[in-house]
Amino acid sequence: MPIEFFAKVSVFCFLASYLVALGVDAARLLKRLPVARWIGLAFGVAGFAAQTGYLLIRGRQENLPPLLSSPHDWLLVLAWIVVLLYLFLTAVDRELAVGLFLLPIVLLFVGASYLVSKQPNPLIAGNLGLVKLHASLLVVGIAGVVVGVTLSLMYVVQHRRLKQHHASQPGVLLPSLARLARWNWWAVVVSVPVLTLGLGSGVALGLTSKEAGAVLSFSDPIVLGHGVVWVAMMSLFVWLLTTRRSTGKQVAALTLWAGGFLLVILVGLQVLSLTSFHSGAKTSLRTRDCKLKIESTGSQHARLCGSVCKLQSTPCRLDLEERHA
Amino acid sequence: MNLQVVYCNHQSANLSIRERLAFAGDKLEAAYRELASRFRSSEFVVLSTCNRVEVYSAQESPDAAPTRKQIAEFVSEFHHLPLEDFSDELLAETGPDAVRHLFRVASSLDSMVLGEPQIVNQVKEAYRVAQDHNACGPLTHAMFQGAIRVSARVRSETRLAEGRVSIASVAVSDFGRGIFDRFDDKHVLILGAGEMAEETLRYLCEEGVRQVTVVNRSLANAEKLAAQFTSVGARPRSWDALDEELALADMIVSTTGATEPIVDVNRFREVRRRSGEKPVFILDLGAPRDFAPAIANLDDNVFLYDIDALEATCEQNRKSRYREIEKAQLIIDEEAERFMQDVYHMATGPIVKRLREQWHDVSRDELARLRLKLSHLSATDLESVERAVERIVNKLLHPPLEALRHEAKEGTPHGLIDALKRLFHLRD
Repeated sequence: MPIEFFAKVSVFCFLASYLVALGVDAARLLKRLPVARWIGLAFGVAGFAAQTGYLLIRGRQENLPPLLSSPHDWLLVLAWIVVLLYLFLTAVDRELAVGLFLLPIVLLFVGASYLVSKQPNPLIAGNLGLVKLHASLLVVGIAGVVVGVTLSLMYVVQHRRLKQHHASQPGVLLPSLARLARWNWWAVVVSVPVLTLGLGSGVALGLTSKEAGAVLSFSDPIVLGHGVVWVAMMSLFVWLLTTRRSTGKQVAALTLWAGGFLLVILVGLQVLSLTSFHSGAKTSLRTRDCKLKIESTGSQHARLCGSVCKLQSTPCRLDLEERHA
Repeated sequence: MNLQVVYCNHQSANLSIRERLAFAGDKLEAAYRELASRFRSSEFVVLSTCNRVEVYSAQESPDAAPTRKQIAEFVSEFHHLPLEDFSDELLAETGPDAVRHLFRVASSLDSMVLGEPQIVNQVKEAYRVAQDHNACGPLTHAMFQGAIRVSARVRSETRLAEGRVSIASVAVSDFGRGIFDRFDDKHVLILGAGEMAEETLRYLCEEGVRQVTVVNRSLANAEKLAAQFTSVGARPRSWDALDEELALADMIVSTTGATEPIVDVNRFREVRRRSGEKPVFILDLGAPRDFAPAIANLDDNVFLYDIDALEATCEQNRKSRYREIEKAQLIIDEEAERFMQDVYHMATGPIVKRLREQWHDVSRDELARLRLKLSHLSATDLESVERAVERIVNKLLHPPLEALRHEAKEGTPHGLIDALKRLFHLRD
């Protein structure tokens, strides 16, 4: 299938698909319909295909991998990973009610992507390799936290059911508490070091960018927010590794708090923080740096600088078309 | 002719009521003595299990039948419970409905877990105990033997007995599997050594349990039960080791017939102090309960289920097999109707017998007289005459007996019986 097939796909297309898939999964709570699982899965797959095409088109337009092209695309990549996980789990276990837990998070990410910038971040020009590492580690780490939050949520629901003696719903079963607790432990223990590496690479990126003349501040709200979240996640990580008599419910509650905090900070700051250098082209990068960037990175970043200058309503000192002709 | 059942079950009364009304252990013997002294002409069978307390009564004369109120008063006075505490939960059925109820109970259609095999054994045991106490009579014999036969028919002609058919299997598959991933590394403690314990243990072995301890007040019974499960390393322990075993166990199944809780909150708090807050799954199948309900709130990892806590799960199990219920219900209706016809017909038996005897006596007298008068007839001729007379008598008897049989399909034909008695001067 040619990629141009997806040229007209909008965010709304796959947002609507996921919404329907969630609705169908929720309907299984009311009545057991074997066909509902397949309908939900079909909408999930359709949304996933549309989202994949959309991200590929976006990457081609920006001439950058979707992970790096903008905060909008970065959030969609994160959602894409979670959808992939949802599809895999739904396909392998017909009784597992994973969509009810994962799809709301997908909708949160896709919905938030509407509100963040679609403009590429000019800072990626400085050190593309390190930026890739930074973004990849953060995405993987955050996906791990999403998994931890989902498992914790499942734990809480399953625990509540067992304590209140409710019969399990046929067709929407949850794993045992023992398995959920074990998986949750691993999700936190794996994702926190990855997040740490992601933040570390971000710090390194900041330092190298400063050397290159870009004005980056560690007091940037997103950097600060992620720092606070990292402290929370690291505290949970240390507690998990050092506490011997923790109960599954304690782990689930703490993961929910820390992971939920991370998701709120992640999405909230991306949406609200208009002056952060993480928020795409609406950056604090000054126009006088345009020349340096363009000279050092070639044509794709010439376009980036052009976007920056346009957004900031300041005339660029360079004649871009002329330089890259 | 009067058949009646006064009962409460898991649908009409919660466990806290049922456990107070139960006729457990020695109480049953005393109950039969008391019933016999109060209602001398009635037959009784008392069925008392964790899910039901039922008093069946039957007598030939409707006038002597105990009413629902009288049975309720007996239960109230026997258990020293105010009648208003349970009066609303006490139901009653009479006549064909009482028979249908017993057939449903014995066929496990009225059980929490459809198709469970234990109830028919409990019905048999209740019937045996009633016989031991000379509380049975022709009607209760017929009813209970019929119930056992119907149960076998339902079991063989439907698929009710397939799948999850015990309370333990339903509880473990829905709740136990929600807590634990696997059972082969779990310590299982069985309290009690009766039939329920054996059945539960058998199911748990199929689920892969490998570490089992049986604790019972009678160590000999615990040893006997454990000996049946040596393949999974079942070991008996004395009652003194209960606290130690409670602390060690991941899964506790309690099936004792104790009349008071054997583990209260303070005792279990001490057990938790020793065991730590590891998850523990407690299945309390006792009625009265063996574990104080407040134990469930001790910490997040105590999962306590009594019989009533399994109601919703069992209902779901029931819904998934509604087709088999319909089939079983048809069998029960058919058998109940046939039983009632037999009972009604049984009531006409004496009158039919007397009528036949009377007419044949008349014919025999007349033939004897004829033989004296017609002495020239050969033996062959006399035999032919006797046969002709017998045929005439039978042909004359047929219409009234057929009418009687027809009337007996709808109930005891008191009117027709009286008419026959008066027409042909039949005496009791």
